[in-house]
Amino acid sequence: MGIRQTLDNLEPHFHKGGKYEKFYPLYEAVDTIFYAPPDVAKTTAHVRDGVDLKRIMITVWLCTFPAMIFGMWNAGWMANAAIADGFASMGTWREAITMTLAGGHDPDSLWSNLVLGATYFLPIYLVTFVVGGFWEVLFAIKRGHEVNEGFFVTSVLYALILPATIPLWQVALGITFGVVIGKEIFGGTGKNFLNPALTGRAFLYFAYPAQISGDAIWVAADGYSGATALSVAFQDGMAALSSQWSWWDAFLGFVPGSVGETSTLAILIGAVVLLWTKIASWRIVLGVFLGMVATSALFNMIGSDSNPMFAMPWYWHLVVGGFAFGMVFMATDPVSASMTNQGRLIFGALIGVMTVLIRVVNPAFPEGIMLAILFANLFAPLIDHFFVQANIKRRMQRTGVPAEETA
Amino acid sequence: MAQSNNSIKKILTVAFALCIVCSIIVSTAAVALRSKQQFNQELDRKTNILEVANLYESGMDVNETYESMITPRVVNLETGEYSAEHDPDTYNAFESRRDPAASRTLSGERDPAGLTRVEKYSTVYLVGDPDDPEQIILPIRGQGLWGLMRGFLSVEGDGNTIVGITYYEHAETPGLGGEVNNPRWQAQWEGKEIFDEQGELDPAIRLVKGGASGETEVDALSGATLTSNGVTNMLQFWLSPEGFGDYLARFREGTSQAETQGADVELESEGA
Amino acid sequence: MSAASPKSVLTTPIFKNNPIALQILGICSALAVTTSMSVSLVMTLAVIFVTAFSNLFVSLIRHHIPSSIRIIVQMTIIASLVIVVDQILKAYAYEMSKQLSVFVGLIITNCIVMGRAEGFAMTNTPGMSFLDGIGNGIGYGFILMTVGFFRELLGAGSVFGFTVLQPVQDGGWYVPNGLLLLPPSAFFIIGLIIWVLRSLNPEQVEENEFKMKANTQPKEAV
Repeated sequence: MGIRQTLDNLEPHFHKGGKYEKFYPLYEAVDTIFYAPPDVAKTTAHVRDGVDLKRIMITVWLCTFPAMIFGMWNAGWMANAAIADGFASMGTWREAITMTLAGGHDPDSLWSNLVLGATYFLPIYLVTFVVGGFWEVLFAIKRGHEVNEGFFVTSVLYALILPATIPLWQVALGITFGVVIGKEIFGGTGKNFLNPALTGRAFLYFAYPAQISGDAIWVAADGYSGATALSVAFQDGMAALSSQWSWWDAFLGFVPGSVGETSTLAILIGAVVLLWTKIASWRIVLGVFLGMVATSALFNMIGSDSNPMFAMPWYWHLVVGGFAFGMVFMATDPVSASMTNQGRLIFGALIGVMTVLIRVVNPAFPEGIMLAILFANLFAPLIDHFFVQANIKRRMQRTGVPAEETA
Repeated sequence: MAQSNNSIKKILTVAFALCIVCSIIVSTAAVALRSKQQFNQELDRKTNILEVANLYESGMDVNETYESMITPRVVNLETGEYSAEHDPDTYNAFESRRDPAASRTLSGERDPAGLTRVEKYSTVYLVGDPDDPEQIILPIRGQGLWGLMRGFLSVEGDGNTIVGITYYEHAETPGLGGEVNNPRWQAQWEGKEIFDEQGELDPAIRLVKGGASGETEVDALSGATLTSNGVTNMLQFWLSPEGFGDYLARFREGTSQAETQGADVELESEGA
Repeated sequence: MSAASPKSVLTTPIFKNNPIALQILGICSALAVTTSMSVSLVMTLAVIFVTAFSNLFVSLIRHHIPSSIRIIVQMTIIASLVIVVDQILKAYAYEMSKQLSVFVGLIITNCIVMGRAEGFAMTNTPGMSFLDGIGNGIGYGFILMTVGFFRELLGAGSVFGFTVLQPVQDGGWYVPNGLLLLPPSAFFIIGLIIWVLRSLNPEQVEENEFKMKANTQPKEAV
């Protein structure tokens, strides 16, 4: 009970009138990481399920692990393979760590790849966590509420959708924008209508496009230029894409891309857990998937001489770029998605349709899922509104009286 | 007072008086300032031309330099010869692209720059002696990523070596495609060559990603593939025989001098 | 309003009753012309000129304006002034007018000008109306210049065209923030300015449109 005692001893300082009264949220956050919160729900409104916000968030966090670990290996493998081809490695201190722990750049060594990848991903994650956490705690202290676990998820998702070579100061700026503009100014977790992780990435995407898009940034080797599967298809067509990588390469994740998005398989492992525990709504996932399939089939049918993206079939759309990651982890964010069941299907379909539309028709942005989800986030309340109103009308017709307001 | 204000007579009087006063003010301003405005527009165009020819310095007398250095000529794009029909000082190529009689349509592969319609005659600007110019300044335009880009390309008197390129109108993304106006990027155009070999009519000049090598390659704009493609395409179009190719060919063969005179005569007889 | 002193008429629109930050008027031009400070400054001067003189002229003839056509009369005066400004800019500040393009013309539709003519000049003396126009123009300009400052400094590394932070494209160290060169960034900056202003003047914060019910207390439910 060492920790419990230490915490209990410290507790009075953080209560009203105590020395560190202002920092109560910080104390509460540490306390509830180790122990169940002191006040748990006792009312009827909550007895349907034993899951609470904390457990939801930690499950999501764990579900990203397959993609995260694979992503680190992939980043290291890509870099090591390029270095083996004669490109110079990038980092100085990264180089030192890789040499100490792995002894060299060997693309065939699992360990060497993982270590090199980790030297890129872990600093990104750490910066995200520290900077984002700082804002989270600052607002919690200022507003006098507890630090919310939602940030665990935001930070890991944000770190996973960045390319490995992104400068760390940009990571810090992006998460600042995501947390402050995307969430806190609307009142914090539960009141944000945009996905904060995507808001942060969108900020970087428009502010510093040279470091987050293009061909030169995906592989961490000096001067190496390797386009993502999406931009290969976008520029040179499907034939060029399938000659460079097989569908299985893209499905398993042997392609360049943002850290967490490369392996569709690893993402689907997380997806199974999320769907099985009912944390992610299967309706949203299904909606995104069907919307994507329908739209890409439509484009396949129309066909185009000048735009090779028209020819990309749905099973390729699924495995290239951030589609799978966005579908599983971003679209299903419980706060910014639709809340009604039918609404979730529509919300998901809107994302799927918009993703393919942006990918195929927009001349500037090869990737579309990020903007599609943010776009659908804006429509989520409207979609809900229609279904709620329809429900009220139906009920009116059946009972002849407006629904009684219940607590 | 309120009563009389809302009578029909009062309403009409006020409206009429107001219209008279306002229209006098507006038309006075417009007429009095027109010459000054046209002067500005001219000055802006001349500054752009001097800039691409590397002749511009801030604070210089643009008009004087322009008058002494630059001679505009109208070129028939089909034959590559000078036209006597059009006065180079008043002819506006950009306007006449809309006139069906003075332009032709392009489509498919013949239209890499995405122009749809292009004029039959275009104005070029010659630096130095018009019969043996030091530089030839060609107007170019074409689709970039977000819209039409318009600019000038300056070529040395040999019809092959590039002096510089500028864009005075474009809507490309700031920081990416917008870097077409970055002096560092523009600087690497100097000395590049348009054509691979003597006698060839298809231009070889293009932008390449990841390090240009050779005389006909220029570094692409980093992170702006589609703008770079747009620049390459518009150069491919305007320097090919569809554009100024025939005209430049005469400089490369060194026959421009002899034919200038003949061209005038020919066109005159054509007109008659 | 009846007891307003000339000084307060001139100064309240700057912070206390800012046309952009409190009344949320004239946003569209604030998005379009704030990529650089010099353009913002010219736009500010143009708007100050138009608001001041449209207020003055409307106020001068306010006793003779028939109420049935008063909006048209105001619009005619404003439109004439805007055209004159546009013509002058084209003649004497051609570079500027090229960058401002249609937005000078769009001052006509700037709600601030119309709003002050209808809301203030119709009921006040010419002198006060003139000052009110200047005050509101300055209030508009204050926001415009602030937004312009951040957008130019962070987006291009310069202030009034003078390089402060040497951008990497020109061999320096500063990586310009491309988002700030795009119009939506002005939304973010205006939003942040409103946040600051309302934190300093809590009376500017609007009433909640609705109140959420408090959670059910455990005792009641069990």
